[in-house]
Amino acid sequence: MMGQPALETAAETSPVMKVENLSVGVTGRAGIKPILADISFEVAPQSVLGIIGESGSGKTVLSRALVNWISPPLTITGGAVHYGGRDLLKLPQREVNALRGRELAYIGANPTSALDPTIPVGHQILEKLKAVSPGMDEATARERVIDTLDAVRIPSSKQRFDEYPFQFSGGMMQRALIVDALVSDPKLLIADNITQPLDVTVAAQILRLLRDLQQDFDTSIVFISSALGIVADIADDVLVLENGSIVEHQPVSALLRAPEHDYTRELIAKVPRIWQGAETPPAPSTGDIVLEVTDVARTYKVRDRNRLFAHKLVRAVRGVSFEVRKGENFGIIGESGCGKSTLSRLLSCLEAPDAGHIRFEGTDIATLKGKPLLELRRRFQLLLQDPYNAIAAHMSIGRTIAEPLLIHGLASGRALREKVEAAMSEVGLSTELYDQLPVGLSAGQRQRVNIARALVLEPELLILDETLSSLDQVEQAKLLELFEAIQKRRGITYIYISHDLAMVRRVCARIAVMYLGRVVELSDNEPMFAEAAHPYTRALLSAVPTVEDKPYATSDYLLEGEPPDPIDIPAGCSFRTRCPFAFDRCKTEDPRLGADDGAGHAAACHLAIGEMPKPHANTAGGPDER
Amino acid sequence: MAFAIEFFLRRISQGLVIVLLVAFVIFTLLRIVPGDPMRIILGPMASQTTLEETAKELGLRDPMLIQFGRFVGEVATGDLGRSYIRGVQGGSTGGSQDADGFDPESRASVAGLIANALPYSLMLAGLGIAFALLVAVPIGIAAGLNAGRWPDKIGLYTSSLFVSLPNIWVGVVLIFLLSAKTGWLPAIGYRGFEYTIIPAIVLAVELSPVMIRAISVSVAQNLGETFYSVGLVRGISRRDMIGKHVLRNAAVPLMNLFGAQMIGMLLGGLFVVEYIFSYPGIGMLTINAVFQRDFPIIQAVAILASAALVIINMLVDFASTLIDRRLKF
Ligand code: SF4
Repeated sequence: MMGQPALETAAETSPVMKVENLSVGVTGRAGIKPILADISFEVAPQSVLGIIGESGSGKTVLSRALVNWISPPLTITGGAVHYGGRDLLKLPQREVNALRGRELAYIGANPTSALDPTIPVGHQILEKLKAVSPGMDEATARERVIDTLDAVRIPSSKQRFDEYPFQFSGGMMQRALIVDALVSDPKLLIADNITQPLDVTVAAQILRLLRDLQQDFDTSIVFISSALGIVADIADDVLVLENGSIVEHQPVSALLRAPEHDYTRELIAKVPRIWQGAETPPAPSTGDIVLEVTDVARTYKVRDRNRLFAHKLVRAVRGVSFEVRKGENFGIIGESGCGKSTLSRLLSCLEAPDAGHIRFEGTDIATLKGKPLLELRRRFQLLLQDPYNAIAAHMSIGRTIAEPLLIHGLASGRALREKVEAAMSEVGLSTELYDQLPVGLSAGQRQRVNIARALVLEPELLILDETLSSLDQVEQAKLLELFEAIQKRRGITYIYISHDLAMVRRVCARIAVMYLGRVVELSDNEPMFAEAAHPYTRALLSAVPTVEDKPYATSDYLLEGEPPDPIDIPAGCSFRTRCPFAFDRCKTEDPRLGADDGAGHAAACHLAIGEMPKPHANTAGGPDER
Repeated sequence: MAFAIEFFLRRISQGLVIVLLVAFVIFTLLRIVPGDPMRIILGPMASQTTLEETAKELGLRDPMLIQFGRFVGEVATGDLGRSYIRGVQGGSTGGSQDADGFDPESRASVAGLIANALPYSLMLAGLGIAFALLVAVPIGIAAGLNAGRWPDKIGLYTSSLFVSLPNIWVGVVLIFLLSAKTGWLPAIGYRGFEYTIIPAIVLAVELSPVMIRAISVSVAQNLGETFYSVGLVRGISRRDMIGKHVLRNAAVPLMNLFGAQMIGMLLGGLFVVEYIFSYPGIGMLTINAVFQRDFPIIQAVAILASAALVIINMLVDFASTLIDRRLKF
């Protein structure tokens, strides 16, 4: 149905879209402030044009301007977007609508809210297909949607056709939206940051899919992203956007090899390195064990819609054990649904495990009640990702930070203020902010308020649950330094719970990799990255968007599909449904996390390390990995 | 399918508990308020001995729990008791006759009284809701689609105007305009369908402001959802996005509002409106019963009202989970 070889005509070589001197501004009280200035580029047929820029560079505005989706307060202040010989920006709305969704498709960064939550996904794609191709009959249209669902490898597409958006994971939803975009055979697809909300392995799948489909469907793609590693992976040519202007335009390999503009060099330098030139991670601590987690499990009950009075058991955490030593940075990594957030709630005593023990300095926290529990809670603090909701808008910053001291009754009057001010200067907040309300604080400053609030209690263990995920690279680096300084001064132990491999690589001495509620690999930092022992860890590492040579080739490890539902966990090895190396024994026997191999490295896999492909030699070569 | 069965089984059993509790509270309250119901039944002329004998006969001297148990048993068989006052023929008899005893058979059965009055109230309520929807749906949708512009203002002004009008006053004005002055419609009592129209309008004036606000807020909010603007870019027309998606999503909070708030308002409204217009529905029956301390009627109406509330909420919740599958059922 697609990709019929078209005859080479003159039209095949002329650009699909031509942007000339496009400028967009935002109308404010002080007149129009420019956001994009003089943007000009062409999109060649059957090519992928990458556009890279940091947040605030205007890349989303640009991507929307390409489909004439600019609404107040934004206004187009000049230039043209030529498509098919006409200027999209000057076409009457009706004709733009006729093009959108048919010849011009757009996919955004927020797959989960892009469709009506109350109507099955397939039906909405069908609705769109019928809207943009009048005259197509129901049966043909339906068949075409299902075919396209198959083409993006959505499993059991017929059934999925009738499922609702909330039943799709983020990655599946993004696939569905790709179907939605491609089902009408568009000439040009604008993909605005589409991998941003996805886990790395899923993002890698989507990228590969997009590349395949681009050939099958004969579509040109404008691929916009803030991650250089991702753009480098998919694009032919790259535009670099800084503050609303194009500063560089080169083929991707040339850009990485010989960037011309300072800003580009800066961008390349900012991409965290995992293998080449990575900062040496801290050595594992030899201090006492502070936290000992043994065989912890947690299961939730959810109602079953299809059976009478029945529940399904969601096994979120299934027998996790590890130890954390004093003054150490312990990392827990995994993708969505792996159980890391449940584990974080268990560790911070917000919930009790159904089985197993969590011992803090030898005391089982489940046995504590009343005063001792409160005291324990003081010594353990949890910092969450969202710096916005955690701070009350009506309370002064000083009061917010003082709150836990008041709750625990630890200080009052002058002493209280002194403590709070000390914590504020420790985290780098000016004490002048004491009496101010938190309005106008940046995300980084808000996170500092949260950190100060945790620090006033002088905790011994800090659990950082995706604490830095919403911050940009620069701010993240500053906070990591801050954590390090605090650790030196106070000897605090940190548990970093994150999906960000590069960050964990940089700061954690020991790392646990979680998959489907289990720790599948537990290792010191260096061996984990150099010679990962579990296929899943290798898959994760092969999928990280970087600009360096990876020791694990995507072709060897890229995962198909998604983790199984924690409701029906496969028998045997729970990773076997996606493992490229699964063999007979994996079907029946559940591998347990083996004993330490002596070098602090253990994995839950029947394969010995030697039976997997050897990691590629890590010689520092050109950054182009294709 | 399984979820529907489970939903109803669970909600009906929860509902029964709620109704039973309400019944118990009302039953007890009515028995501890001052005033011996025997005096009401038999009137001031009855002697103390007749009073005691009849009370014993009727079981009114038994412990409260036993009385309640008996009452629940009767209700379960469809017997809501008999009025203290109203005769089988319909007139009030209390207080004058029967000075030497009480023959329950001579009093009207509460179930019968309610069965007579209920159709009138249902008709009035149905018509009132229909009128309110007729006004509120177009205004609310227009206001929601044009937030901040003139249709929104009209919606706001209409609803504030309607809210500020006391329904007694609206009733009087309408009677004056539509009935007394022009003779278009009859107003007081009931002798045919046309008697329902003016009271229904009064009811609608009371219900529509809440509806207008709710509809416009809910529509405007759904217009702001990502799926709406993305839908336009996906190539679906504005008309289809609104007609097929925005309104559908807006319906869920509306139905919940209906279950939670409107039913209460409707019941309250019925009482007042029926009283103003001497309209022979449940409201009228109840208000008269309150004045005459006719406890069996009061308690039956209260229990029925709570049952109606429970049932309507159940249906509303079920409909919501059908529209939006994310909702817990
Ligand atoms: S045990 Fe088997 S299926 Fe599981 S990770 Fe190892 S090789 Fe793969």
